[in-house]
Amino acid sequence: MTLTRTILLAALGAGLLLGGPAQADGTLTVAQRQDPANWDPVDTFLVAWSSAGANIFDGLIRRDENLELQPGLAESWEVLEDGMRLRFALRQGVTFHNGEPFDAEAVKYTFERLLGDIGAAGPQRSNYTSIDSIEIVDDSTVDFVMNTPDPVMLTKLAGYGAMIVPPKYIEEQGQEAFDMHPVGTGPFKVVSYDQGESLVLEANADYFGGAPELDGLVYRFIREDSTRLAELQSGGVDVVHDIAFSAIPTVEASGNASIVSVPGPTVQSLQFKPTGDVATADVRVRQALIMAVDRQALIDAFLAGRGSPIASLQGKLSFGYDAALEPYPYDPEAAMALLAEAGVAPGTPMTIDYRADNSTFAEVAQALTGFFANVGVVAELRPIEDAVFLNEIVPQGRTNEMFQFAWGGWTFDFDNTAYLVYHSGEKWNPYGTSDEMDALLETQRRSADPAERERILKEVARMAHDEAYHMPLYNEDTVYAVSNRVENFVAAPDRRVRYDETRVTE
Amino acid sequence: MPILFYLSKRALQALLVMIVVTLFVSFAIRLTGDPAVMKLSQAANATAEDLARIREAMGLNRPFHVQYLDFIGGLFTGDLGTSFFRGPVAPLIATALPATLLLATTSLLVSLAISIPLGVYAATHRGSLADQAIRVLSLVGLSFPNFWLGIMMVLLFSVTLRWLAPSGFTGPLSLVMPAATIGIILTATNLRIVRTTMLDVLSAQYIMVARAKGLSERKVVYKHALRNSSIALVTYLGLQFGGLMGGIVVVELVFGWPGMGTLAIDAIAQRDYPILQAVISILAITIVGVNLLVDLTYAVLDPRIRLE
Repeated sequence: MTLTRTILLAALGAGLLLGGPAQADGTLTVAQRQDPANWDPVDTFLVAWSSAGANIFDGLIRRDENLELQPGLAESWEVLEDGMRLRFALRQGVTFHNGEPFDAEAVKYTFERLLGDIGAAGPQRSNYTSIDSIEIVDDSTVDFVMNTPDPVMLTKLAGYGAMIVPPKYIEEQGQEAFDMHPVGTGPFKVVSYDQGESLVLEANADYFGGAPELDGLVYRFIREDSTRLAELQSGGVDVVHDIAFSAIPTVEASGNASIVSVPGPTVQSLQFKPTGDVATADVRVRQALIMAVDRQALIDAFLAGRGSPIASLQGKLSFGYDAALEPYPYDPEAAMALLAEAGVAPGTPMTIDYRADNSTFAEVAQALTGFFANVGVVAELRPIEDAVFLNEIVPQGRTNEMFQFAWGGWTFDFDNTAYLVYHSGEKWNPYGTSDEMDALLETQRRSADPAERERILKEVARMAHDEAYHMPLYNEDTVYAVSNRVENFVAAPDRRVRYDETRVTE
Repeated sequence: MPILFYLSKRALQALLVMIVVTLFVSFAIRLTGDPAVMKLSQAANATAEDLARIREAMGLNRPFHVQYLDFIGGLFTGDLGTSFFRGPVAPLIATALPATLLLATTSLLVSLAISIPLGVYAATHRGSLADQAIRVLSLVGLSFPNFWLGIMMVLLFSVTLRWLAPSGFTGPLSLVMPAATIGIILTATNLRIVRTTMLDVLSAQYIMVARAKGLSERKVVYKHALRNSSIALVTYLGLQFGGLMGGIVVVELVFGWPGMGTLAIDAIAQRDYPILQAVISILAITIVGVNLLVDLTYAVLDPRIRLE
């Protein structure tokens, strides 16, 4: 790629005129903000990785756009020995993009790599440590022997670190080759990768699920919100994967593209500091602050309506969601009465800490100060650079009265959020909750019974609601901007859009 | 060999600048966030052991001076190290540096091509309608924030007229909007420098002598006056270069230009120390190099100036 660039630069220097690359027929171009920069499944947690990775790799299990688990590289599976053993019947006759066969050895290699030294340097391993070992029963059957039942494991096998990788390719070509030129079994194979710019894929005619309709699929990495929008408007890209909420009206008015959205995993909330010498140490103050804010108005004003109010830190797709749990109402008068009862004088200052990188949340934060002013609380905004916020402010317990929390576990299992926010000692729980909460969270993690887990997770959500540990703001929809030339686009809640059945016209 | 002595003195100076700058940047960036934490920030079940393992794999468990000396040592042997997220650093720089330099020099040339003739014209027709118009235009140019100008260009030329692709680097046409964005802002300032210094020089006695000798006005203006006023312009360009690099960062982001700015911003966001250290060192060397070039140019422009 460097060579291509050097040649291009030389051509530029000599003043030669080169034309832009013509867009091949049947090629769809996606714009997304981030370049994951490394395509090894064990070395990433980025949505930007999985949105392209979902078209290059397969897991044993595939999760469809309705979040149902479907056969992937495994045709079927059984849960044995009370969840201590998972048995998979593998699909036969599948090959990787390099021609290498997919078999039980590849499964074993993939997970031993993930749980061994290579995986140890990456962020994925910790999601899969409940796997003790992989046993090959025969060429097309493997057993996962667990060291503890893991109720979310089947879902986790459909994403990220569990993508099946080609043993021979990695051993022969080396780690770096795999990072930059990944090989999987998916519907598209990698043609070229230009770091920071684009990933070019072509259809895998031998895909086990049938050859894709498209000839090619290109991901372009464009950092600026306005530039991604301009590329869509000028026809340079066909789908924008992370269109800014503020750009929704522009896309809808453009006439050459439309907005497609589905409920997503991301929730936004304001966490309260419930301890120490702050007004929010009083549960009445926390409840009052929640009731001071018209959350539906925030959704209408800043998300262009593409979101839903929530009562806990999960949307309705999440396992553990409780439809019976109602959000606190918007009631400024009740809020003022509660504040007075708690002895909070009008004009009391409080501070909101939030991540400065999110322009939508910056607007929401401005509006929050207005709602708080309405009930006599003077909120000061403190935007903080991302890494500092994630490293120095939250885990160290250096926040003020309120701080932003945004989370969207791709597993859509409430455990993924709840454990992190409510269990003692977790990074996003710097001030502690209660022993009772810890016990609930630990019990559901050990349980292999989905009904019991669901009951406990609902209890966790209700307890957090009653204690008003946070103000759940909204559940964001996952929003795509799609050009009119695209047909059969299937929006995925987790941005892992599969393009094997999508078409483009012209 | 005074020139060799001079050059080696300047090279030593450059080295010192680079060490001070990288030492400061390497130290400061480590105070603001841990890349291992960034790597694990979305991993729901990560434990303290996971964090320790990743820090070890990144070499972050070593004392700061060891990490820094490792980096400086590598720099001298041409090894720029390995990014925490993106593989070896050298190829990244090898792609990004030419892209940024291409953008910088094109913008600079565009701005000189416009600002010198216009500035000279304004100075020689002082107070005329054209002079007034040029001054107003340059003030307008100065008042544009570069990111705004970039976005407006995209709206006009890409979205409305559809003449140019809004972003990326696919051919010479990709260079037009980013270079124009930076060029317009540079032109605005350069125009004012050229006009002011030309006015100054044109009132000097030797210009009167030149005119009295009966030289053509053209020769007086372009040979005598412009040459002497260009010393101020060259000085200014040298000083401007550091700022130009800062401005390019923003413009690169707007146009998705794969240069050093984009590389640096991503590295800062991820706390990718190896990339950041390399980018800063190379920019420091470039800036020191450009200023050396400026000093050498003085001697060419005015033989009375001696390099010491």
